[in-house]
Order: sequence, then C-alpha cells, then structure tokens
Amino acid sequence: MSAAPILFEDFQPGALMGERVEVYDTAQAQRWQAIFGGQPEDGANGAAEGASMAVVNMMRAYLHAVAPRPPGNVHARQQLRMHGLPQCGESIRVTVHCTHKEMRRERRYVDLRVHGTGRDGRALFDGVISLIWAA
Amino acid sequence: MSTVTTLTLISLAMTEEIIRSYAELTDDFNPIHVDPEFAAKTPMGRPIAHGTLSLCLVWQCLQRNLGAQALAGLDLQVRFIKPVYIGDLVTAGGQPSEVAPDQYDIWVRGQDGSDRIVGTVSLDAARHTEQGGMA
Repeated sequence: MSAAPILFEDFQPGALMGERVEVYDTAQAQRWQAIFGGQPEDGANGAAEGASMAVVNMMRAYLHAVAPRPPGNVHARQQLRMHGLPQCGESIRVTVHCTHKEMRRERRYVDLRVHGTGRDGRALFDGVISLIWAA
Repeated sequence: MSTVTTLTLISLAMTEEIIRSYAELTDDFNPIHVDPEFAAKTPMGRPIAHGTLSLCLVWQCLQRNLGAQALAGLDLQVRFIKPVYIGDLVTAGGQPSEVAPDQYDIWVRGQDGSDRIVGTVSLDAARHTEQGGMA
C-alpha cells in the first residue's frame, strides 16, 4: 500500500524535510550533454553543465526528501546563490527545509530552502524552491 | 565586473524526448510533464517542460557570454511565469540591469516572444552575503 501524499496542510515552516546525498556522475553528465550538447562551447564538462548539475541534484534531493507528493505541483520561482560548482564525480549533500507556506489567490504556495555542500563539506549552493502545491 | 552589453542567445527546440530525458535526469516524473491525459485535466492543458530544464539554457548563455568563472559565484532569482510546451522553441538571453551594477536581467522566451522565465543574475555574490541572506 502506498503512503498518502504530503498535503499543503502537512507542511510545517521551519521543519527539516530531509537530507539526501546525490552524485554528479558521468551518467548524469552524458544525459545532460545529450540534451544540451557535448561541446566545450555548450558548457559540456564545464561551468554550464556544473551549474545545471547543482540544480538537477537540488531537484533530485527535494523530490526524494518530500515524498510522496500529490501529482501536478508547479515550480513557480527559484532563488539560488551559487558558492561553487560541483565537479563530475562529486557527491552533493542537500538538506531541505520548509520555510514558508501560504494561500494566495486560492493557490497553495510552499517554500523549501535547500542547502548543498560538496566534497569535504565545501559550500555549493543555497536556494529557495517556491512551489504551487497541488493539494 | 563585466563589459558585456547583451547576452548572445541560446535556443532549444523542446520535444517530448527531451522532456522525458530530463525527467530521467532529475527523477522528476510529475505527470504534468510526462502524462498527456493528466496534463489535459490541468490548467496547463498539455504536458509542460520542467522549469529547470529551460533554466539550463540560462547557464549556457551565462557561460558563453560571461565566462565559466561567473557561474561559480552568483545569485539567481527567477520566476517561471509561463509554461514551455512540446514544439516550443525557447531562447535564453539577457542584458545588463538598468537598476543595479553587476546584475543582468535574464529571460527565456518562446518563439512568439513571450516570456517564459524572467529574473536576475547578480555576479556580486559577496555583496549579497554581507547583506545577510536571500530576499
């Protein structure tokens, strides 16, 4: 039996939702390059790929930390402070906190703060994922 | 910090295959992205691309115009204001902000010229840190 999805009413601002370690590996890099290009000018194996992988693994961490979710959530806003770019092969530890929720124009807004660190705890990013929650 | 006056555009033609591949990359199989029947019952009407998929074009645009080092220390704030659909040709670009030094107004637009993502990138991350946190 599957667990009940996390609903808007379940979010508690200030609460830790979870922590997740993801790895920016060659498989991720190859998949990114298949979409966005594999040449240096495309950012392959470079900064654009690295910044993308910070976001990709931020999203993966959120999706695993805040689960199960109701279908149909929408990503409305994103704040991101990049401190450093992850390198291919690097593990990224991401913590996810709920920081805010509110009803606005009959929509359920949820803010999740994400903090990412890399090898030896080096700071990679801080951000806020703002979502319109489906239920 | 930068003498770039406009950012060279980066484009991507959105396809179902790209959305599916990005879903696998992020492990984000929200049916609003990958299930036409589900999406048809939402205000979106049909599957939409992940917001952070189009954001990757912004990273490519920034690297190509400002250099790799710029991505390793920045503040980004964006709103995903309109969906990107299969068949859309989306383009990322930007220009220096008129209100803040070392800041760029960035966007992702559809082939019809409508904004899909809008926001800012500040290259002076240290200044924001001194001000104590994200807005």
